[in-house]
This record gives sequence, C-alpha cells and structure tokens, in this order.
Amino acid sequence: MPDARVQRLAEVLVGYSTAVRKGDLVIIDTSPPAASLVRALYRSVLEAGGHPYLRIDLDGDVEALLKQGSDAQLDWVNPTLFEQAKRADVEIAVEADSNTRRLSGVDPARQARRARAREPLRERYFERGATGELRRVVTLYPTSANAQDAEMSLGEYEDFVYGAGFLDRDDPGAAWRSFGEQIERTAAWLGEKKELRIVAEDTDLTVGVAGRTWVASDGKENFPDGEIFTGPVETSLEGLIRFTFPATFGGRRISDVQLRFEGGEVVESRASEGEDFLREMLAMDDGSRRAGEFAFGLNEGVTEFTGHTLFDEKIGGTCHLALGRSYPETGGVNLSALHWDLVCDLRTASEVYADGELVYRDGRFLDGAP
Amino acid sequence: MIDPRVARLAELIVAYSLDLGEGKVVRIDALDAASPLALALYKEALRVGAFPYPHVLVEGILELLLEHGSDEQLEFVSPLQWHEIETIDALVTVWSEANTRSLTRMDPERQARLLGAQRKLSNRRWERISRGELRWCGTLYPTSAHAQEAAMSVEDYEDFVFAACHVDEEEPAAHWRLVSASLGARAEELESVRQLRVLGPDTDLRLGVADRKWIAADGRYNMPDGEVFTSPVETETEGEIRYTFPAIYQGREVDDVRLRFEGGRVVAAEAARGGDYLRTLLDMDDGARVLGEVAFGLNYEINRFTRNILFDEKIGGTMHFALGSAFPQAGGANTSGLHWDMICDLREEGEIYADGELVWKAGHFLSEPAVRPVEALESA
Repeated sequence: MPDARVQRLAEVLVGYSTAVRKGDLVIIDTSPPAASLVRALYRSVLEAGGHPYLRIDLDGDVEALLKQGSDAQLDWVNPTLFEQAKRADVEIAVEADSNTRRLSGVDPARQARRARAREPLRERYFERGATGELRRVVTLYPTSANAQDAEMSLGEYEDFVYGAGFLDRDDPGAAWRSFGEQIERTAAWLGEKKELRIVAEDTDLTVGVAGRTWVASDGKENFPDGEIFTGPVETSLEGLIRFTFPATFGGRRISDVQLRFEGGEVVESRASEGEDFLREMLAMDDGSRRAGEFAFGLNEGVTEFTGHTLFDEKIGGTCHLALGRSYPETGGVNLSALHWDLVCDLRTASEVYADGELVYRDGRFLDGAP
Repeated sequence: MIDPRVARLAELIVAYSLDLGEGKVVRIDALDAASPLALALYKEALRVGAFPYPHVLVEGILELLLEHGSDEQLEFVSPLQWHEIETIDALVTVWSEANTRSLTRMDPERQARLLGAQRKLSNRRWERISRGELRWCGTLYPTSAHAQEAAMSVEDYEDFVFAACHVDEEEPAAHWRLVSASLGARAEELESVRQLRVLGPDTDLRLGVADRKWIAADGRYNMPDGEVFTSPVETETEGEIRYTFPAIYQGREVDDVRLRFEGGRVVAAEAARGGDYLRTLLDMDDGARVLGEVAFGLNYEINRFTRNILFDEKIGGTMHFALGSAFPQAGGANTSGLHWDMICDLREEGEIYADGELVWKAGHFLSEPAVRPVEALESA
C-alpha cells in the first residue's frame, strides 16, 4: 500500500511550491530510491498540464566519477544539463540517498574540483531562479539512510519528514501560505536592521546586514521550509561561531565546526570530525571563506536534530550561516562554487542583538519583534 | 559483489559494441532494475576516457503517461530529447522490465499516438546511426519478469542471457570478433544468391534477394547478437509459411500464424489464436503486407524461445521474416509503421535452397563460409 502522504507531497510540490502550469517543462531531478515519489510527481505534473522530464542518476555514479575519473572527466559538465538549465520552467530536485556517507573515502580536493567545474551551471540556475523564469524546489524523500542519520526507524522518520511539511494537515498548501505571511513580517522587520550580534556557547559573532534584503522561505524553494535569510555584508563578519550540530555534506559527516571571522573572512577553522574536508571546502575558491547567507530557522514543527541540513536549518530556534555563494535576491554579492549551510542551536543560553538591542533569547524573538 | 559476468558485459559493450574512445559522450538508458549493469557501463566508460551519463527511468512511468496524459502530452517530444539525440556520440539501451505485461490493457490508440510522436525522435536517431555519427547498442539485464516470460527461474535465465552474450567466458570480445568474421563471410556468400526457397512443415516460401545487401549482425547494435539479414525484393515473395513460434507484437501474442504470399503481398492470413489482431496489423498501412526483412538466426547459444525478440530472432537454426518496414542499407524499399519479426523454427525439418541448391538442413548451413585469411588473422 503506497503511503498516501507521498501523493500529497507531490501535489504540494507541483501545486503550491512550483505552481506548475499548462505547457511547463518540468524537470524531476532525483535518484532511484525516490521511485515512488517520482511516479507521484509525474502524475501530478501531467494533471497540471505540464511536461515532466526525468533526470534520474544512478545510485553510485558520482562516487565512481570521483574515485576513478580523470581530471577531464571531473571537469566535464554534460551539455544537456545546460540545455535543461536554459529551457526548464520548473525543476523539482528530490534528494534520495541510499547511503549518506558514501563519499567519505573520496579525496575532498577532487570533490572541490568537480564543484568548481559545475559552477557555471549553478550560476545559470541562480540567474534564471532570481528572475523567476525558473521555479526550483529542493526536497527530500525519506530513506533508511536518512533515518539512520536521524537515529530513527524509517517509519518514525517518515512521520518526522511529512510532519515538517505540514502534510498531516487538511490543506498543506493553505498552511504554508499562512505560515509564509507570518514569517514575511519578521523578515520585513529585520530588513530595517544594520547589524546583528549572536551570542551563545563559544559564539560571539557580529554580522552586518545593512541594506540587505531578508527573504521569507515559505516552501517554494525548499520543502519543507520555514526560515528567513539574507546575504550578509561580505566584509562585515567578526568573531567566533561554533556550530553545535554535525553537518552531513558532500557525502560525509563533519562535526563541531568552529570558525573565526575577521573582516568577513574565515581566518581560523576547526572541526572534531572531517577537518581536512572543511579546509578543502574553505580553500575551494575566493568566495568560499566568506559567508553568503545568514538565517534564522523558524519551523516549530521541526524540533529535533536529524543530521540533514534541509531540516536542521529550519529548526525553530536555530540560526545558520552558509559559507560561499550568496543568493542575489538578498543583495548578497559573494561568488563561489560552494554553498554550505552550517547550523547553530540557539535554544539554550543564547542571545541575539539587533543594532545593540536584545531581540532574541533562547530560540525565540522577543516581544516587539513580529 | 557484482556478478563478474555483468562487469564483462559492460566491458564488451563499451570496448567492442560501441568501440568507445576518449572524449565520447555516451548516454546510458536503463530502467532502475538494471542499475548493476548501468553502473558497470558507467565505470567502464569512465575507464576508457569517455564522458558517460546515466538516463534512468523508474518503473511505471510510461503507464502513467498513457493513463493520465492529454493528447498534447502524449505527442510532446521534449526539446531536451532533441538536443540529446543531436549531440551524443553513443547510446546504450538496457532493457530491463519489472513487468513485461504492464501495457497490455492500455488503450492501443493512445499507445499508437505516443509511439508515433516518439518515432520522429527514433527516426532521427537511426539517421545519425546510419551516417556513422552515433553508435548504439541495445542489451538486456535479466529480471524476474523476463525470466517469467521465458518460463525460467531468474538464475537459469541469467545463465541463458550471459551465455548468449558469451560473457561467461574470459574473453568475450575475442569470441565476437570471430563471430563477426564468420557472419561477414556468410553475408558475402549470400550476396550472389538470387532466390531463396524455404521448405518446412506447411511451409514452402520463395523469396527474391537478387542485388540486395546481406548484413552481418555481429554484436555492435545488439548484445547478444548473431544473425545475417537483408530486405527481400518487395514483389517476389511467393508461397506459404507457418510460424511455429508465437508471433509477438507489442506484448500481444498470435499463435500458429499461417501466411500466403502472392506477388510479394500477404493474400491470406490465419492464426490459431489472435487472428483478428493479426489482420488488424496487416491492414495498418500499405506496406504492412510486404516483407521488409529476411534473416538467419545463427547464435547457437540461444536454443530456446523466451518471448523476447532480442533473443528469439537469433535462435541458432531459425529464420525470421518481418512484415513491414525494410532496411534501406540492405537495399530494401518497403515502408510501413509496422516491423513485425516472426520466427520460423527450422531446426527439426527445415531445408533451404539457394538458387536451387540445398544450402541448409536441420538448423545449419551445410558448409562453413570461407573466412578470408586476413579477417581470421585480425580476429584471432
């Protein structure tokens, strides 16, 4: 018996997140473990009058490429992907991992090389995304591998994932709309601030946000969602931050990342697990030592840390900072092949000051903030 | 642990069938059930310096399109598909169904609509293949569904498939080079024949093949392979044929087909089961009653009928005669939306005469073709 929530997820992604219209070319980008969601999406796109196009890779092809590919093969970007980036009206990217740590044995320098080669493609997506020509949403299909990272059974993890997406509610689309309006008000209020100071355990970081736009993420680009983010002033970050949650990124786990910023740049970095990988990512290019995003997680339906950024960065009561590329719609101008979100728990013994005034304590905005 | 036969099949297809070299862009089309072979092909293509990319289809998508697609959606050919077919250097198609009968109940009119639209794409693909711009190879990864179709266990079926490809041997490419030399010599020998006469149970069929080109199917376009074929002269087929194997078209079976030809055209058609379907297909268009292909199946590792044309048409000791579209590269001129391979078992009682001379008896040519020494040398 197929899980009815899979069909509901497909309907929300197609109907609400990307609003597929008649004649839209819709790319469904995923891996074989998501087969049942692929079928549900395919059907929903057909019903919306769109033309679904499947881009499904093999479980293990990237690993093979990174392990045995020549430099020329690592640098090759399939021209068909550019064609897709040029022509697609909608892209629905579904993460579906059978092993979240499969790249642990791969040389991080080769991962960085491949990421740099793919930067022009990413750039194309960003450009068309920023102008609204392309609606792109990223989601996750729950697999045993993700459940294992979250230390849950698959059934528990599915409940968690679908709960975070409001799919257990009567009208998930309406729930997202109303939640979106609420966080939009917080975003507008933060837009008037010039400088934030984050204070928590081993953390005292100043982030300049003057003149930057805060964007409310309401399930249209990530699903589930629930954050407000901006692109901080590139040269402004000063101080220390410790990311209490381990991060799974690039097919491996990196734990307890600590960074020190000066003049906006990372000048010192540490991690208790995956430090070599962290260094390699920071050295990827000119922009990879700077923050491209600063954000607050506001989804109160996501309370537990599960080892996946898509969810962890939305946990109500956290903030996150991304190293690398900023989103043009925030006014951020940092360029990089990297965009790596690192999440910091602010639910205990934490404070945030906006232009010197205390506005947030222990995971919540105080009265006065909308 | 990957089955070593799967790894060898991948190596054979990359090195021998596609002759893939550095810098070539190759797309690997596969259903998700074929992942082990698709991944092995991907790795092998990397090893030879090519640029591979997978194009995976999950089970059940075609059914969704047929059930829920509007006419416009059924007929839509994506610009992305056009772009790919124009730019790739090589293509591997791995057939691998989880259910070989999932389209049985779908509306045939809608299937025809979908097929018609996709045909524009496949015509362009064949055009590039025939110009030598694109290499293509079709193969199969064994699944329970294919095994079930063949009335075999999946393990027995794997043995059957891999033996037919000769990947249960250490050096399959060496085998296929020998096959290529031998089939090439056979094709050359058949070149001088003007008329073939096929005698078998309830069968006495005469076909004109003068000035047609015989082609050796030696593992480049299909793996497994092993046949020589041509397109017969459109107006000269005369007599009767009885097909002992069921004739299958798009998953539907017609049993015990008997056809009578006059002046190249089918003038009478009967079947023990499925006669209506047979006659519907014969009436599809003007070319559907004319033979577009005549071929000898010469892969003797394939010794049983498995309800899959990739294998059945190559059964050693059979012939097949396809109704419908002919091969221009063989000199054939018949055009039709149909190309229906029907297989005639000649292993027990069959006799074939070439211009009056007995050349085949009980499933074998009576003499080995003379392989030219230089070819034999190259193939060794």
